[in-house]
Amino acid sequence: MNYFVKGNPDLCIGCRTCMIGCVVAHEGKHIFEVDPDSYSFNPKLHMVKTANLSVPVQCKHCENPACMAVCPVGAISQKDHCIVIDTEKCMGCKSCMDACPFGAINMTVQTGKFQADGTEKKVANKCDLCYGFSGGPACVRVCPTEALTLVTEDELGDAMERKRAEAARNAYLETHPQE
Amino acid sequence: MGIPEIEDAGCLLCFGYNGADSHPIVARRIVRGKQKGMKIICADPRVTETARISDIHLQLKGGSNLALVNAMANVIWNEGLADKKFIDEHTKGFDEFLKVIEKYTPEYAEPITHIPAETIRRAARVYATTKPAMILYGMGVCQFTQAVDVVKGLANLALMTGNFGGPSMGIGPVRGQNNVQGACDMGALPNSYPGYQNVTVPEIREKFEKAWGVPLSDQVGCPITHVPHRILHEKEEKKRIHAYYIFGEDPAQSDPDLAEVREALDKCDFVVMQDIYMNKTGLYADVILPATAWGENEGIYTCADRGFQRVRKLIEPEGDMRPDWQIIADISTAMGYPMNYKNTEEIWNEMIDLCPSFTGATYEKIEKYGGVQWPCRDKSMEDKGTPYLHKDGIFATKDHKALFYGTDWHPPVELENDQYPMTLSTVREVGHYSVRTMTGNCRTLRNLEDEPGWVQMNTEDCEKMNLKKGELVKILSKRGYCITRCLPTDRVKPGATYMTYQWWIGACNELTTAKLDPISNTPEYKYCACRVEKIEDQQWAERHVMELYDDIRAQMGIDTGKGAKA
Repeated sequence: MNYFVKGNPDLCIGCRTCMIGCVVAHEGKHIFEVDPDSYSFNPKLHMVKTANLSVPVQCKHCENPACMAVCPVGAISQKDHCIVIDTEKCMGCKSCMDACPFGAINMTVQTGKFQADGTEKKVANKCDLCYGFSGGPACVRVCPTEALTLVTEDELGDAMERKRAEAARNAYLETHPQE
Repeated sequence: MGIPEIEDAGCLLCFGYNGADSHPIVARRIVRGKQKGMKIICADPRVTETARISDIHLQLKGGSNLALVNAMANVIWNEGLADKKFIDEHTKGFDEFLKVIEKYTPEYAEPITHIPAETIRRAARVYATTKPAMILYGMGVCQFTQAVDVVKGLANLALMTGNFGGPSMGIGPVRGQNNVQGACDMGALPNSYPGYQNVTVPEIREKFEKAWGVPLSDQVGCPITHVPHRILHEKEEKKRIHAYYIFGEDPAQSDPDLAEVREALDKCDFVVMQDIYMNKTGLYADVILPATAWGENEGIYTCADRGFQRVRKLIEPEGDMRPDWQIIADISTAMGYPMNYKNTEEIWNEMIDLCPSFTGATYEKIEKYGGVQWPCRDKSMEDKGTPYLHKDGIFATKDHKALFYGTDWHPPVELENDQYPMTLSTVREVGHYSVRTMTGNCRTLRNLEDEPGWVQMNTEDCEKMNLKKGELVKILSKRGYCITRCLPTDRVKPGATYMTYQWWIGACNELTTAKLDPISNTPEYKYCACRVEKIEDQQWAERHVMELYDDIRAQMGIDTGKGAKA
């Protein structure tokens, strides 16, 4: 099963440290270079604030990803519990962006990479669960209120058992209201 | 009370304080408290992150603070929820206070605060009956012309419910800026020497004269917010200010009514600016003294909970700059009063020996315990400081009794009118700190938010004016105007606008009023009348903003080759 990062709006304070952590993780030492144009600021998750809600939204790493199905060049694949985009293969057609029901994919400029016509290369960008970096997703690590968790198969399994137990208890109480 | 105690309160009344934007690390305590079952009452005109998770959100009309506080006191008394024993044993002036709050029934407060009377009742009951109850207040209380009265009003609530002198209770000012508590502790106030020792008391003056070997003035100095007036309009020649030495402050960005501030800086004969980066005030300076930043400094900060903490140097400064204390010592020496301190500890030791309430807070002790909350009077390691200022209800007055202090509410100075039908309040945003001298030079934070900033407006107001998210708008008051981006949000009420004060172009202090609280001399940053205008030619506006930005950067000598987005 694919993993995913889940935000808890009861804990989130909307500070966007997760977005900065994401960029720092993916850009590495580039962010310390003197020339501010030498790195890309492309967070792979997005803070959403509505009237009563603050929480970052990112890729769900679906089991049957719509993005992967529509990609005409096979740039999206499943690797080690996550769905990743190969930015070398990506041709920027935006089909995945259109297909994703969560708005988790955006198009971003790749600093320092150019297309045939000399313009900067634009590719699809989304959460990769910090694939290839040690320490797990950076957003989870940097969140000051521990509002983000990496949901794994085990964790989901435990939650399902808890919910089933609750459902069973509720069903019992419905038929035995006096207890 | 200390910051870590917040999460163990039974009830938190969060008044005019938006922790998530001002102090995320304090906000973390509030979130944890909520997880532990703490009841949260949040009084704020906006849906802040704390309001969002609160049990009761008192979404009051801006500028009605004291009406709400007095109404809560009224309910607590009339419903018999007050702690009569605490009032009898530890306080004075309650009867006079009762006379003031008598008329502030929730029904009386409803049209002023725009909060239903029943909601005020509910909040008062929860605050009075959930123990221990803590109050945190921030700039939403302090930055009004009626500010000190509201602080006293909140203290009245804590007094009448016996919420003083123990863990997770009391009333906590969560200061606007890092180490602003320390600045006050060290006497960076016009009326006191370090340790809140009044300059007008002869014995205290004599003590400092003896220690420093110079005659000292017995007059209260000039508050920062009076400086423009004292430069521009002072009739008495002797009282007029001719030289202005500014360090770690950017009044040409942070003070209200910027047009007046600029005029004052322009007219002032001599301006010295001492800071870590160039800023707007620097454009008016005759001399600029480059100082080191936090990671290059040694010293002590005071936290909002009166805790002294050591800060240590991480890296050696590179280039032509010095720590603030060395610059001050050099200037003083050059002016004929030699200062030969070897390090910050020498300065600290001199200071604590002159301040009875700090005497025990040695470097060694702060180092050993990680922090020491003043008062700490004894140098022995046993005196670990004072976590609770009014422990067991013993107050710092002559007879150890707290004083109730009731006043009537009055509205803010500049109300909405035909020409300026909306209100403006200045607020903070997470990521950018204060005037942005530091965070504006942190590139990932600048990537998140950059010029010309935002004006938060209610979605209905935006729809009426046909304004979309990100559109550049002109916002005006009686005093000036600026251009910024529109941010439609349901978190603010119709008729109200909110801006952060750190942007050079979207500089909301062009609009704010310099009217002050009579006691604290803090300006009414949280309320003035304004108008928002749509800009039809957005392409022109975008170009204009870019030109303004490049122009400011060029004036400051910043390399503009990379363009404004860099």
